[in-house]
Amino acid sequence: MKLRSRLAVLATVPIVLAACSINVYEEGSFAGGGGGGGGEGAAVNQEPDTGEIAIAGAASGDEANAIQGVIDEGVNDVQDEFTATYTGSDSFEQNVIIQIEGGTPPDIGFFPQPGTVIEQAAQGNAIALEDMGFDIADLEARFGEYLMSLGEYEGKHYGMPDTVNFKSAIWYNVPAFEDGGYEIPETWEDLIALSDQMVADGQTPWCIGTGSEAATGWPATDWMEDIVLRQAGTDAYDAWVAGELPFSSPEITAAAESFGDIIFTEGYVFGGAENISSTDFRDAPDPMFNDPPNCLMHRQATFIPAFFPDGVVPFEDYDFFPFPTIDGNEGVLMAGGLAAIFSNRQEIVDFFDLYTSADVQCLYGKQENTTTMGANVDVSPDCYTQNELIGQASIPLAEAIAAGTARFDASDLMPPAVGSGEFWNGMNEYTNDGPDNLEQVLADIDAAFPSDGGGGGESEAPSESEAASESEG
Amino acid sequence: MSATSPPVEDTQSGKGIKGTEGGVTNTGSRNLVRVIVLVIVLIWLIPAIGLLITSLRTPAAIESSGWWTVFASIGDTSQWTLQNYREVLESNGFAGAFLNTLVVSVPATIMPIVIATFAAYAFSWMEFKGRFLMFVFVVALLVVPLHVALIPILQLYNGGPLFDVSWLAPVVSFLTPWEVVTVEVGIPLDLNGTFLGVWLAHTGFGLPLAVYLLRNYIGSLPSELMESARIDGADHYAIFTRLIIPLSVPALASFAIFQFLWVFNDFLVALVFLGETADVRVLTIALNALNGQFQNSWHLLTAGAFISMVLPMVVFFSLQRFFVRGMTAGAVKG
Amino acid sequence: MSDVLSPQQQAGTDEEEVYRPPGPRRGSGIVVFILAVIAAVAIPALFFVALEATFEFMESQNLSPILTGFVAILIAVFGVFGVYTAVDLAIRRLPGTLSERVRPYAWAGPAVVILLIYLVYPAVNTIQLSFLDATSTNFVGWANYEYVFTDPAMLRSLRNTLAWIFVVPVSAVAIGLGFAVLADKLRRLESLAKSMIFLPMAISFIGAGIVWRFVYAFRIEGSGEQIGILNAAWTSLGNAPVDWLSINGWNNLLLMVIMVWLQTGFAMVILSSAIKGVPEDMLEAARIDGATEVQVFWRVVVPNIMSSIVVVFTTMVIGVLKVFDIVWVMTGGQDGTEVIAERMIRNMFTFRDFGRGAAIAVFMFIAVIPIMIINIRRFREEESIR
Repeated sequence: MKLRSRLAVLATVPIVLAACSINVYEEGSFAGGGGGGGGEGAAVNQEPDTGEIAIAGAASGDEANAIQGVIDEGVNDVQDEFTATYTGSDSFEQNVIIQIEGGTPPDIGFFPQPGTVIEQAAQGNAIALEDMGFDIADLEARFGEYLMSLGEYEGKHYGMPDTVNFKSAIWYNVPAFEDGGYEIPETWEDLIALSDQMVADGQTPWCIGTGSEAATGWPATDWMEDIVLRQAGTDAYDAWVAGELPFSSPEITAAAESFGDIIFTEGYVFGGAENISSTDFRDAPDPMFNDPPNCLMHRQATFIPAFFPDGVVPFEDYDFFPFPTIDGNEGVLMAGGLAAIFSNRQEIVDFFDLYTSADVQCLYGKQENTTTMGANVDVSPDCYTQNELIGQASIPLAEAIAAGTARFDASDLMPPAVGSGEFWNGMNEYTNDGPDNLEQVLADIDAAFPSDGGGGGESEAPSESEAASESEG
Repeated sequence: MSATSPPVEDTQSGKGIKGTEGGVTNTGSRNLVRVIVLVIVLIWLIPAIGLLITSLRTPAAIESSGWWTVFASIGDTSQWTLQNYREVLESNGFAGAFLNTLVVSVPATIMPIVIATFAAYAFSWMEFKGRFLMFVFVVALLVVPLHVALIPILQLYNGGPLFDVSWLAPVVSFLTPWEVVTVEVGIPLDLNGTFLGVWLAHTGFGLPLAVYLLRNYIGSLPSELMESARIDGADHYAIFTRLIIPLSVPALASFAIFQFLWVFNDFLVALVFLGETADVRVLTIALNALNGQFQNSWHLLTAGAFISMVLPMVVFFSLQRFFVRGMTAGAVKG
Repeated sequence: MSDVLSPQQQAGTDEEEVYRPPGPRRGSGIVVFILAVIAAVAIPALFFVALEATFEFMESQNLSPILTGFVAILIAVFGVFGVYTAVDLAIRRLPGTLSERVRPYAWAGPAVVILLIYLVYPAVNTIQLSFLDATSTNFVGWANYEYVFTDPAMLRSLRNTLAWIFVVPVSAVAIGLGFAVLADKLRRLESLAKSMIFLPMAISFIGAGIVWRFVYAFRIEGSGEQIGILNAAWTSLGNAPVDWLSINGWNNLLLMVIMVWLQTGFAMVILSSAIKGVPEDMLEAARIDGATEVQVFWRVVVPNIMSSIVVVFTTMVIGVLKVFDIVWVMTGGQDGTEVIAERMIRNMFTFRDFGRGAAIAVFMFIAVIPIMIINIRRFREEESIR
């Protein structure tokens, strides 16, 4: 009894402070304030419409303008029930956690990392699409089963694909390829042979830079993912992402060694492997356009031409080819966004019905200064009138999605301690210190996995063994 | 006041530091002082000059050559541009963001100062039980990182429980025969997204430093002052308003500068408690919105950084005249 | 600390829990406490209600936002002083010695009450979280603290933070003090010179990040001109360009330079105003006794401003403990540049492991205890002199 009275008094401070009405909650009923709601047992469309839909996401600047442009033209202008507003922020991933935990999530979050969506589902913050009244079969027809599966948690779907990007592109200097008579490589062996030929011709084949301030190392993880996807295959890739196939396994070790064949072969990389992590990824392709070029090829996602020097012309000065097959395995590495929903309203369902339709997603092709693609599989390459390169890139991506060989960026799917932490660090150590430490590097990455073997946020308590294995490193 | 010689006199007399004849000062050592000061100032200025020059160059020029190379080719007009500033100033809602920043900054500067000055006086010159511990407690809170406070305060603003003590219930039930019922009490404050909410947050986060700095200053005022005032029949309130506040102007001014700068340049607190919507967003958030994720628009950021520097520098210059020697000394004698 | 909390706790607990200070005033102790709590809470509460009411009224009148903002500023600025004055007037009407005994709590109390909400509550919350797992659902005992002291990146961050604590406050205080003294002798240009040192404080963090990226920028030899001034200077001496921020050890020092650049202005302003508070007659007396300027500095000025030096030093050490944005922007804690606050933010918001982040924060609370002890000693000395 004593305790009880004291508890009440402790809370007296704000009551007096506010001098307004007091709500007494039953224990446990406080679920994080407005919006949160929680997954289980939420009745369909339980909240009234407001006419305003707030969307937050990581894409900012021109990419944000593109998203808002699509929403305006395809959604806001075609009905007058509601208006959707997108707000992009560089620090979205931190801010949204603060907002969700603080009880004021946006209505919709466009998350670049599907792992975050799963975490929010596991914590009961995100609302299942099933509970919103979406038809999953219909959505799978729009996006393909693979993309929909990325947001799946305990049998329900929480992630609505919002945009996609093509990552498996190798950019090259067109005049230099013509002068050297170089052929576009179809297979990994061709790629190595081409690199050797360039070295023999006195050229440097590759420009690689993974510097990205706090995220330094991520472009190297893309290289690894492109190789794993083709060399080990999609099943191994999925197992790797899920934490079931460790980094120290023969498959992943082999992929790292193949990557090593590129970066550690004498004369392959401009500046040498030791300068890879010191070179900013935005500056990395620049030497490809020096006269004479310092390198002839650069592997990076489709956003990179925005950082090419002024005045270089697509198709004339540069072009890209898809990352070659390995052992005959096809595959395409992609990225994009999954939308998680934090507010259960009919207008949000209506928003997505419009936004994800092929006609509206096609509008991405008309936006300026963006390389974002519509996530709907029925978006035709002809949509991309602003940027033909993107239209070209959309073809292999659509084919791979149809064939089931497209895979999402693994580092965005792994638990953040790995995918946004030790995987990057490990790649930096690998490129800086050379091939000798590979075994240790891979073991260190494995050690960063939460002890339950991955799968997002609901990890158990860090066990003794994990702490022990970490201290070994 | 009259006890101290006005600074102007010294400058004109051209000799003697602090207007004395007794020091070893001579022209040689004065020049040495000047040289040392100049060197330090130069070292400090180099990065800032780089910022200014960068903000006046085209993005292509920024990327292709170092900013110091402009001195060699100062006449090359192709590298100069005011476009960066134009782009920032004409960007959507810049004026509104500037206004919002002022609405946030002024109260968020004054409020903690007033509250802290009262507290600092009490800690310095009043006798009460728990004084020492209360002061240590306030100062110890300096170490609490802002980031751990954001989520709990946001929950509170949204009507969450103040102290979530429900976890105590099973512990008590386990240790004692009592059955504990915890009742969480919350109030729908609805402070999220309001100026009031962000003022109070800045006040709370700024208070420990304010109390700490001001108590240090107010506590070091000569005790004879208070004694004589008290003999004259003044009570604490009179001493505080007529003696302490005028005497503490230098300290109040210096803390005001820091708190103002901090609030003015703050991004995180404004983002969390005020948000990014156009009607309430502050300057730092508006600038951030200009800058793309993969497009590191350095040209815009430098111009924006320079624009947002102007007001704090004006505040600094205008408050600097309060840092006058001998205010306390003069008062003691007077 | 229990003493501090006691007004709140004791007001509501049952009789036998109330701690009664021994002494003659025993009987009225509870009355004083109740009145003290009322006064301490009343000031922020009244102020809050006044502001809230103003806002609601202004909004209901649909006035222009500029006017609303202006009026709100006026109320915020003058209202807070007015509320203190009103409460003080009320306290004066209390009978006998009661008013003198309650008044200090009305003056110091509001700060404590506000801090209870804005910092103590989150701190308690943090301590609680530090014993829970990543998503704050299961109790994990000391596991998060084990992580703090065993994880290799954490250990590096502890080592680096220790180096920051030794290097940054000492450098900033030394430069700031030296500059304040020297500039003090300039007279004519003093204000301008001090403004230049102060300048970095006015630069927003985003701006500072860019400035220093241009200082340390690196490009591979042969891939274009060096746009970083350090590398331009270095290569002009015939050396190969260096990626400064990836050289283990040195990169930490280069990051500390940024902090010193940013924070010296703080030390300079506080110490400069302290120097100006040194009584003129003391300086003159020393000079008449034949002391050189150096001796005057060490024997008169420094002892006189010692309390300000300790204050600046304390503030800086705590600032350094909490530093993360410099590291975050420049290196992201890679290449061995982790610091503990950066690890805390990374764990909380990137790895979304609130338990570990909270444990690091709690470690920071504890790490500051030694410096608080120094302050307590100084505080006590000051009291005993008086």
